[in-house]
Amino acid sequence: MIKPIQYASRQAFLRLENAFGVAFGPKTNPFYHLGALSFFFFWVVAVSGIYLYVFFETSIEGAYRSVEYLTHEQWYLGGVARSLHRYASDAMVVVVLLHLAREFALDRYRGVRWYAWVTGAVLLVFLYASGIGGYWLVWDRLAQYIAVVTSEWLDWLPLFSEPMARNFLNSAAMNNRFFSLLSFMHIGIPLFLLLGMWIHIQRISQAKTNPPRVLVVGSLLAMTVLSFVRPALSQAQANLDLVAGTVQLDWFYLVLYPLFDIWSPGTVWGLTVVSGLLLLLLPWLPRKKATPVAMVDLPNCNGCGRCFADCPYSAVIMQPRTDGLPFENQAAVDPDLCTSCGICVGACPTATPFRRVTELTPGIDMPALTVRAMRERTLAATAALTGPDRVMVYACGAGPDIAAFRESGVAVLALPCVGALPPSFIDFVISRRHADGVALVGCVEGDCYQRLGVEWTGQRVTGQRDPALRSRVPRARVAMFWVGPGGVPELLHRLASFRGKLRERGPYQKGEAAHHPSSKLDQAHNVTY
Amino acid sequence: MSLIEWDDRFSVGVASVDHEHRELIALINATHDRLLRPGAEAAMPDFLGEIYARISAHFALEERLMQEKHYDHYSEHKADHERLLEEIRDMMDDYEDSNFFNEQRFSGKLQAWFTGHFRTHDARLHQNLG
Repeated sequence: MIKPIQYASRQAFLRLENAFGVAFGPKTNPFYHLGALSFFFFWVVAVSGIYLYVFFETSIEGAYRSVEYLTHEQWYLGGVARSLHRYASDAMVVVVLLHLAREFALDRYRGVRWYAWVTGAVLLVFLYASGIGGYWLVWDRLAQYIAVVTSEWLDWLPLFSEPMARNFLNSAAMNNRFFSLLSFMHIGIPLFLLLGMWIHIQRISQAKTNPPRVLVVGSLLAMTVLSFVRPALSQAQANLDLVAGTVQLDWFYLVLYPLFDIWSPGTVWGLTVVSGLLLLLLPWLPRKKATPVAMVDLPNCNGCGRCFADCPYSAVIMQPRTDGLPFENQAAVDPDLCTSCGICVGACPTATPFRRVTELTPGIDMPALTVRAMRERTLAATAALTGPDRVMVYACGAGPDIAAFRESGVAVLALPCVGALPPSFIDFVISRRHADGVALVGCVEGDCYQRLGVEWTGQRVTGQRDPALRSRVPRARVAMFWVGPGGVPELLHRLASFRGKLRERGPYQKGEAAHHPSSKLDQAHNVTY
Repeated sequence: MSLIEWDDRFSVGVASVDHEHRELIALINATHDRLLRPGAEAAMPDFLGEIYARISAHFALEERLMQEKHYDHYSEHKADHERLLEEIRDMMDDYEDSNFFNEQRFSGKLQAWFTGHFRTHDARLHQNLG
């Protein structure tokens, strides 16, 4: 049941993202920054909210009046702040829901990633409570409608000694203190939301909380223009002595409110609780098949910390030495955090295929595909190659379909992530002439399934990050392709052109890199046609 | 006789670094010993690969220590590490590609390669970290 939905939504996202990719380019594609955009919109809401709070009066009469003053008298500043407050919070709902749907579609919510999913799902409650509370404060007809419906809904639970809805029976029943309480809640709940957002990103390293500048400037500009063109306005002032007739709903926050017209509070509670539980339990419906986690081999670990620096999930920790050797630290793996991506192995300086085969155990290794197995499979795969354009492809298992390469006459090894490849494998394959060139195939840049594998690989190959690919390796014999699921035909085309260049170049000569210092890395980022 | 004898002057005063220097000396000496016995040629790639891996890991650790202490000659020292790794890779490739192999010359190269770095860069590091 879940698989077909996931597949269909993945296809839908793919089409959307490719369309956005054409307009925005790969690095600023908003779909790769949905989480960071949520943070950004939160800050816009917070800053505009602080400004509004300065002028807001927490009384029945004052609330509506002060918002009207801000909107009309002080339209150039207060009105814009109000509109930004509205539009940024609407935008936040959109990016948050897209973020949630996308992580689901790309299967990035199960296994050890349950934590971000569950904390994120809980955050939805805070997000909606913040938004709905905001509408309440304006105290117009819409606020009145929300007040009555929401309190009737909450009263269905035996929470309060006196029904909350009693406050809204008529204008005499309402008091100013209730308004102070509401405005404090509208500050308190968003603060909890922020705290929750911080908790949400605790289990990943280098979480992206700032979107690219183009998106920041662009969306701020768009919202500002919108604020002038279509400022956020109040509806008629609330009057508890009248029954709210027609109200215009905000479809971002109040999308479920029409249900209250059809169903009883109990039914809506049932629906909310069941769908909430379903959302929370989704990572275990079904649970992800567990892959054995990374293993540290102390005799081969000197505590250099490179795996610790590169792990995208903070699953590698450095702890005091336990085996008596005079090193300060050793690496240790937290199995609750490890996704078995192997990026730590790609970072380990002892993970080199040049080592003696019988003892090829690196300081950190993946049981599902050990470095020793990686070496053996590389040798077996390349042994079958012939001709002047032999290419060894190391491909991300979560990326494009590998069967497509096999038929095209290259050797292929699938890795849990392209970042699991220690760069010295590239040196090994080329200098020992097991192949004439090496191609690395990974997920679309900026959207690596294992978060940082593609980024680290790019930096290692271009010499910006340790362990760096040695400068002796002629870069013209190395190709990097970061490919979306729809980019396979284009990738095969580029792979063929890479092989053409290798044929022109002839067999590898020692010192080739030094003789051709300008030899360029063959890279095609984001092949997503 | 060993190719390189441990000398207290080699000590940089950091237990982990000294420990690895001792291990590297032992590995280079073992390589040298193996060179003098029959069938050395077949065994050499294994020894060289091991030295390459150990030295890579050792440099990684030394670089982290230097970065942690904000060592002022970090980039020079790091550059020397890269040069040394290129040299050992050259030796490995030379070995793979040449039919002619001179044990004496090879031992000499290994010794010079190792102690050269000690005398200059690691000695300075000693004064700063120790």
